[in-house]
Amino acid sequence: MQLFFAIIKFDYLQRTRSYPFLITLCAALAIAYTFVPAPNASYSTIRIAGYVGYNNAAWFGYVTAIMSSVFLSLVGFYLVNNSIKTAIKTKVGQVVAAAPISNFRYLASKMASNFLVLGTLLLTVLLMSIILFFVYNDGYPFDFIQFLKPYALIPLPALFFVSVLAVVFEVFLGKYSILQNIVYFFLFAALLVSTPKNELQFAFDVFGSKIVMHEMEETVQGILQTEENIDLSIGYVIGNAENNQKFHFNGIDFSTNFILSRLLWLLFGTGIVVIIAPFFHRFDTKEKLGLKKQLNNVKPQKQLKDIVLSKLPKTVSNYTIIPLIKTELLLLARKGKKWLWLLNGVGMVLLAVLPLQIAHQFVLPMLWFLQVGRLSDLTTKEIDNNAHYFTFTAYRPIRRALFSQLTAGILLVLFLASPLLIRMAFTANLATLSTLVLAGLFIVVFAGFAGIITKGKKLFELLFFMLTYASLNGLYFADYYGSLPHGSFYLQLLVGIVLLFGGGSFLIRKYHLKTM
Amino acid sequence: MKLEIQNVSKRYRGNTYGLRDFSITIEKGILGLLGPNGAGKSTLLKMIATVSKPTDGLILLNKNNIVKDANYMRQQLGFLPQDFGVYPNLNAYEFLEYMAAMKGVGGKNLRDRISGLLEGLNLLDTAKKPIGGYSGGMKQRVGIAQALLNQPKVVIFDEPTVGLDPEERVRFRNLISELANDCIVVLSSHIVSDIDTIADQVAVMKNGSLLTKGPQEGITGLVSDNVFETVLDKEQLSIFKTNHLVVSTTRKEGALKVRYIANGPIENSIKQQANLEDAYLYLTKTN
Repeated sequence: MQLFFAIIKFDYLQRTRSYPFLITLCAALAIAYTFVPAPNASYSTIRIAGYVGYNNAAWFGYVTAIMSSVFLSLVGFYLVNNSIKTAIKTKVGQVVAAAPISNFRYLASKMASNFLVLGTLLLTVLLMSIILFFVYNDGYPFDFIQFLKPYALIPLPALFFVSVLAVVFEVFLGKYSILQNIVYFFLFAALLVSTPKNELQFAFDVFGSKIVMHEMEETVQGILQTEENIDLSIGYVIGNAENNQKFHFNGIDFSTNFILSRLLWLLFGTGIVVIIAPFFHRFDTKEKLGLKKQLNNVKPQKQLKDIVLSKLPKTVSNYTIIPLIKTELLLLARKGKKWLWLLNGVGMVLLAVLPLQIAHQFVLPMLWFLQVGRLSDLTTKEIDNNAHYFTFTAYRPIRRALFSQLTAGILLVLFLASPLLIRMAFTANLATLSTLVLAGLFIVVFAGFAGIITKGKKLFELLFFMLTYASLNGLYFADYYGSLPHGSFYLQLLVGIVLLFGGGSFLIRKYHLKTM
Repeated sequence: MKLEIQNVSKRYRGNTYGLRDFSITIEKGILGLLGPNGAGKSTLLKMIATVSKPTDGLILLNKNNIVKDANYMRQQLGFLPQDFGVYPNLNAYEFLEYMAAMKGVGGKNLRDRISGLLEGLNLLDTAKKPIGGYSGGMKQRVGIAQALLNQPKVVIFDEPTVGLDPEERVRFRNLISELANDCIVVLSSHIVSDIDTIADQVAVMKNGSLLTKGPQEGITGLVSDNVFETVLDKEQLSIFKTNHLVVSTTRKEGALKVRYIANGPIENSIKQQANLEDAYLYLTKTN
């Protein structure tokens, strides 16, 4: 038991002291700031048929709890889904494997530390919401229960389940980080779009938000004296906020059944960990990769030859970067499982055959999102693989090595987008064509920049995930690939961002090399 | 070829030093670097290899300041770090071609040179398999191969024999002996026997400072009249250790044969021929 709590404690400390956690914490604070719009803000987060709630404690508590449940479930997974991977990488796993801790306890400890990490973020958001309540409230008194109740019943079980899912994904898809990202993305989207209507169905809503939305909908229906379906939006809806009307939302008296259902999610999560425990590899990963088998077939040379260096052929100076780009492309292509290329192939075919608008607006961002593991690896793989001593002592490591990495990334994303680019070229749609090329540049330099500043993959993975999700939902500010109509400054803005991230990547890498 | 390290310091946060006011001049041949953990060996080697920059001081290669012009060193450097990784999805050929491109070397002979190195390092049969499946020793040999790709003039090996089996260690020593004919080779190791068989010069470091540097004979000479051997039992040994510098103990027929360094022998001691390990322990334990 002592080892169990020790793993939770040190895992939690190790992760909360990391740079990605700090970044996510800052992001969580920044986003929590927007959950309940300021009185003069031009956007809404939860709006029911043109109605938003008065800024009382209940509205603050429930809206921020719902938004936290969705937002932290979305990004939290990407923050915590590398716990076992880290143990493998740091070789701590080898020690754990030889320790007298059962698979279940080990996985449960990972689940618990995942939950603590996400819980810390949630607590930060809760505190931020309380502070904002005192700033924005419309003269209503503070009622802590209206914060505590929704936070305990809505995001807390959801985050617990996300913690479980992170462990499940690591156990079964530990080697396939790209697949983990993609599967979770679609799972999350599927869970979010479900529309339960009665108490039994609310129990199946892991995010716990639907019951509150339903209650709000009913309140507004009461005001409008209608039983017809009314327009209900959750997320960032820009514009028209000044025309919003207000209604009183006083919270919900959750039924015992609903409370029980939230507790059942906790039990269900724990049950999943019990079920998957026998399948955990317990850090015997090499055999699972089939690598030992490969090399056992190699017979040692019978007579070893000494190297006579003076007799070896001489090389000559060759500063071209073509071989570097070639190998970078090879590394990108070999990243992840081979069959994932089948998905890329399908995506490219869809880009070629689907109507232009659909191909552009939906297929392209998803196809590019499939490359998240590859792109996040671009400028982080040397540190990740501990090969940075070689890269950083290379001849002109920035002008040649970094440039090759980014070039290879750009070639990859443009190759994947090529069916669409060709179609755009044939239709002489040069403005969209240049936007697409710039979008490809943007996503690569963004990946490079995020990797260089954090020396890790998480920040890019998190932000790319959010960006893709937001852009698929038609949010203008997230439409980096120009699928929606934009103003005249859009292209200039994109060029500016590309230059900023590209230039920033080179400058920060240069600074890192100087200060190592 | 001349590598001059002049008053170099590496200061970290909290005013702690990895290296302090360190000066040494290295010329063609093999310099063996010895020192306990935390002596600053790897810090020094990383600065020579341009991986990190000194806080103060100069590092000159043939009068060129490599702190300012790192690429001058990088063009003629072969560096094997103490702890390095490889890209697991590449095979040895691909990885070495990539490293060659990083170093800015190529030409039609590159492939043959890589094959020659792989053959000499006993990796030819596995060269087309992903490095991710290699053992620690095999990865170490890939690391050695990459250091020799570009006909380097300055070769830095930080703990190069880790993971190598005895036969490979012997072959590695032969290799660096040949390298030393027209290169500067700096070799750091915890294993004194790796150094004493091949190093022309030996430098002993401790706490970020240079204790001594010179030919092996000179360093061994520091304790040439002070190494003795005696036989003690277990109880005697624990008292003996409190006021003598014990180099080693070996068990023989229930008794303990003790090799020690002292100004004069105790009773029933036999004078021994001093070696580099004796001198190293004397220097690091008494300074």
